[in-house]
Amino acid sequence: MADSGYFDPVSPLIQPARPGEAPHPWGHTTLIGQRIPRVDAYERVSGAAVFPSDVQLPGMLHAAILHCPYAHAIVRRLETTRAKALPGVRDIITAETPEAKISWPYGEGYAPPLFDTQLRFEGEEVAAVAAETPWQAWDAVRALEVQFDERPAAVAERLALTEKAPNVHPGGNLARPIQTYARGDLGKGLAEAAVVLSGSFRTASQLHIPLERHGCVAMWDGDGLTVWESTQGVFPVQEQLAAVLGLPLTRVRVRGGYVGGGFGSKLQTSKYAVIAAILARRTGRPVKLFLSREQTMLSMGLRPAAIMEMQLAAKGDGSLTATSLSVLASGGAYGGAGSALVDWLAKDLYRCPNVRTELTDVMLHSQPARPFRAPGYPQGAWALEQMMDRLADALGMDPVALRLQNIPTVSQARDGSPAYTTTGLKACLEEGAAAFGWQESRQRTAAQPATFTTRRGVGMAACNWLVGGGFPPATVVLKLLGDGSIILNMGASDIGGGTKTIMAMVAAEELGVTLDRIHIEHADTATTQYATASGGSKTVPTEAPAVREAAQELKRQLLGWAAEELGVKAEALRYEGASIVVINHQEKKGKSPKRIAVTNLARLRQQRVAMGVGHKRANPKNKAICPFGAQFCEVEVNTLTGEVRVVRFLACHESGRVMNRLTYDCQVHGGVVMGTGFALTEARILDAASGKLCNRNLHDYKLPTMLDVATQTVSLPLKLPDDAANSAGAKGLGEPVVVPTAPAIANAVADALRPWQVRCTATPITPAALLQALAAAKEA
Amino acid sequence: MFEDFAYARPESVAQAAQLLQDETAHALAGGSDLLGCLRERIFPVKTIVSLSSLKELRGIARTAEGGLSLGALTTLAEVAGSTEVQTLYPGLAQAAAEVASPQLRNQGTLGGNLCQKTRCWYYRGDFDCLRKGGASCLAVHGENHLHCIFGGDACYMVHPSDTAPMLQALQATVWVAGPAGDRSLPLEQLFMPPAQDPTRETTLQPGELVTHIHLPPPMAGQQTSYRKVRARRSWDFALAGVALAVIIEDEIVTSCRMVLSGAAPFPWQATQAEALLTGAALTRERVRAAASAAMQGAEPLTHNAYKIELFKGIIQEELARLVRE
Repeated sequence: MADSGYFDPVSPLIQPARPGEAPHPWGHTTLIGQRIPRVDAYERVSGAAVFPSDVQLPGMLHAAILHCPYAHAIVRRLETTRAKALPGVRDIITAETPEAKISWPYGEGYAPPLFDTQLRFEGEEVAAVAAETPWQAWDAVRALEVQFDERPAAVAERLALTEKAPNVHPGGNLARPIQTYARGDLGKGLAEAAVVLSGSFRTASQLHIPLERHGCVAMWDGDGLTVWESTQGVFPVQEQLAAVLGLPLTRVRVRGGYVGGGFGSKLQTSKYAVIAAILARRTGRPVKLFLSREQTMLSMGLRPAAIMEMQLAAKGDGSLTATSLSVLASGGAYGGAGSALVDWLAKDLYRCPNVRTELTDVMLHSQPARPFRAPGYPQGAWALEQMMDRLADALGMDPVALRLQNIPTVSQARDGSPAYTTTGLKACLEEGAAAFGWQESRQRTAAQPATFTTRRGVGMAACNWLVGGGFPPATVVLKLLGDGSIILNMGASDIGGGTKTIMAMVAAEELGVTLDRIHIEHADTATTQYATASGGSKTVPTEAPAVREAAQELKRQLLGWAAEELGVKAEALRYEGASIVVINHQEKKGKSPKRIAVTNLARLRQQRVAMGVGHKRANPKNKAICPFGAQFCEVEVNTLTGEVRVVRFLACHESGRVMNRLTYDCQVHGGVVMGTGFALTEARILDAASGKLCNRNLHDYKLPTMLDVATQTVSLPLKLPDDAANSAGAKGLGEPVVVPTAPAIANAVADALRPWQVRCTATPITPAALLQALAAAKEA
Repeated sequence: MFEDFAYARPESVAQAAQLLQDETAHALAGGSDLLGCLRERIFPVKTIVSLSSLKELRGIARTAEGGLSLGALTTLAEVAGSTEVQTLYPGLAQAAAEVASPQLRNQGTLGGNLCQKTRCWYYRGDFDCLRKGGASCLAVHGENHLHCIFGGDACYMVHPSDTAPMLQALQATVWVAGPAGDRSLPLEQLFMPPAQDPTRETTLQPGELVTHIHLPPPMAGQQTSYRKVRARRSWDFALAGVALAVIIEDEIVTSCRMVLSGAAPFPWQATQAEALLTGAALTRERVRAAASAAMQGAEPLTHNAYKIELFKGIIQEELARLVRE
């Protein structure tokens, strides 16, 4: 029946709901949930995909930025003569350049000049050069003669709050009043507990290292600016550029397309885009400006380090009675909340009536922090999930059982304690533990003699995530062309999670077309519709319902046209993909039901296009929509050398409906890898004396290699379509997967070292850290 | 990005030696270290002398005595994959295989691995380090997690090579060509202790280049091994490493050479441990005692005392594998 370009769905295609209503929940699906390779896999693998860093334009210049080599300095003099005279140099802009006398909004009231003479972090922009080749640009940057007056810097959180610390801005280094949260009565909770534990934890700062460096190409055409930028969201970049340059939105076009990783560091643009635009304007030529890797490590954001003090108390049966957490962190030199969300899990993950948290943010002579895959959560999980294990030990309970004892049904941290639409926390713990062989593994590791120097340990940790349900705005347009092919038009970026593929699958599921019939236009402010940046694990739950709405609108229109043409009511028709069929047309033997091919609809033949527009609807009121998860792992610890090897991982996540099992598993694997780096290898190291970054390259900054991550990682999705959350029934996945990984590893290491009661409370768990902890324990 | 430089590709070792007499001329073998140094402009380079035409410096051959001669341009992958190396000196094959990553082992050479610059981040980074002509070592009171616990003096780097300690344990001889002709020296004399000159890594004179490494035939019953611990399992230098060449006859250790990587500015021979082990039966107690002896006199800095425990750990682990009980 299906002509080419359509397929026979497993279950009947879903019919549109009444106008104004959300699409009916999907029951059984045909494509959704399957393992579908990415629609752009060939382009990505073959190298045909054009990333912003691949863009080459005729007459294009290359730019480079001179950055401050000190954590804190004042520019006394800047001489450009020598640099200007170098071959190929076309323009140099500094604080003195009229076009560059604009301010850069860091937020929170900080809007220093684009090129400030007072420099507050190593990597802050001082001047920029445009030249015929990138090498000439870098040579010219080196030839700029700058007299820096190096000043003492504050780069350690605790020291920065002492009286003698150099101030980042006048008025002391406390970035904001200490934020407190309280519910219940902490004192009462502590008093009624059978066990009260306290502990200190620390997580190191993790640097953003997306594979594609940060940068853009800027080109002016008359008064209009076009910027190709490696970004998670073209619209926020457009808005920021328009605001800073004083242009209407109509004159700034931002094109994204492919992006080689963002992880939160590319949610907004950076000074480089404005610098490229100014240089392009002044030279009348397109300008390409991509930062060096060192510069991305110095200035493109990080997960702030966290210093945490935690107290956890429970009754004899494991019911939590009190939780307190205080956090010290820094968002860097220009405000920002380094401590934001670090306390969320402590407030929300487990049922606890009495909670108090305190967040202290300090200013440092350090690059501004940026959101980093699940901002705040992995830090907070590092403390909370280790404390939960300690509590389980103290109570003689199994760690899984202790968590099961404290499953909440409402989001306690939110005002009014709204119920979750669905919560898979309990099931993730139970099913994950069963699939991992938790009980048997625990017994096996407990039976190891203390004399073994190579020891196994198992550990687990759980999580939720803040914004799993998506939120407006999002607008998607679906266009049906005369030959039955489809254009899917959406503003959202596919940052690697498979957004394009999943949205094509949604359109195909709804319309009955094959995936190769769908062409995707996305991430271009001039030709696609507004979308917020792809971040917060909200892209699928935000965009997929909008695609469904657009498809519903399109189908409704086609049914209307068919009704007109066939002289029946639209309600008497059924959309079947390739054709529209009259329902209840009691066909006699040998006579097929009355139908009309969609591509034969007179109106389509005349108009040549049919269009459906869909928007993301508001979320249900008084409900919390959150993904949940639990991860289990086994490690091998060498007590002679401090080496830790992750043997196996099992990640059981509940993110509502599984949209594409292949990209789902990719997210899980990627999250566990990133979390493993956080746990075992990654740490920004600053020279204490100068505040300068020591490990500024990919050798010294230890991203994990394939040999450092588990050889076996099982992704076990808990399929729990959440129809109350949105019409796709899906919740976010990209961020929760990174949250429990590090504490699960730490708990496994503690299990391996049980005979000495050793626990590593600071990331990363390096051989040095582990040996020191062991030595201290053996001494004690 | 780089400073302008001349590029020469001599056709003979003598020509290469001639070109390398200029202090700003640098030999290019695999380039995996030089390229980074050029990019960071760590030292001035006016001439790059490519050794790629010197085919006679590449490959592994048997010597008349029954040992091996390894050309300086032999890649680390070739050393690691050589059946002869694996058979005669398995520890050397292990050490070569532990270097960096597969890509770097395909590119990097044995000679380059011996003559590479330190990975100290004060040296490689944007810091005014003593070895680069600065006033003092910044590591000694700075972020010295990766630095030396032995042999530090003025500079506190660790020598980055994995093959050097193993070659030293195997009593390798280095052949050097220079303007004055060829000479040979014991491998340990190739490295310049910072106490003598903290700005140079090797004792090579201007115009000299390493041509071959000669290994004596393995002694009967010799067991060799190299064990390395690092912050991650690939593409990383040693936090601590131990190269062993041991002969055990009738339960008695008759010969033992133990050389450490990640310990000192040059391969560090653990002579006290060697002495303690030689002539005695290898028992678990002796293993522990040897591990402690190897660390006698260690002078850790503020952040690297863990290395003492770590070295004890790997030495114990490696020696314990030789214990027959």
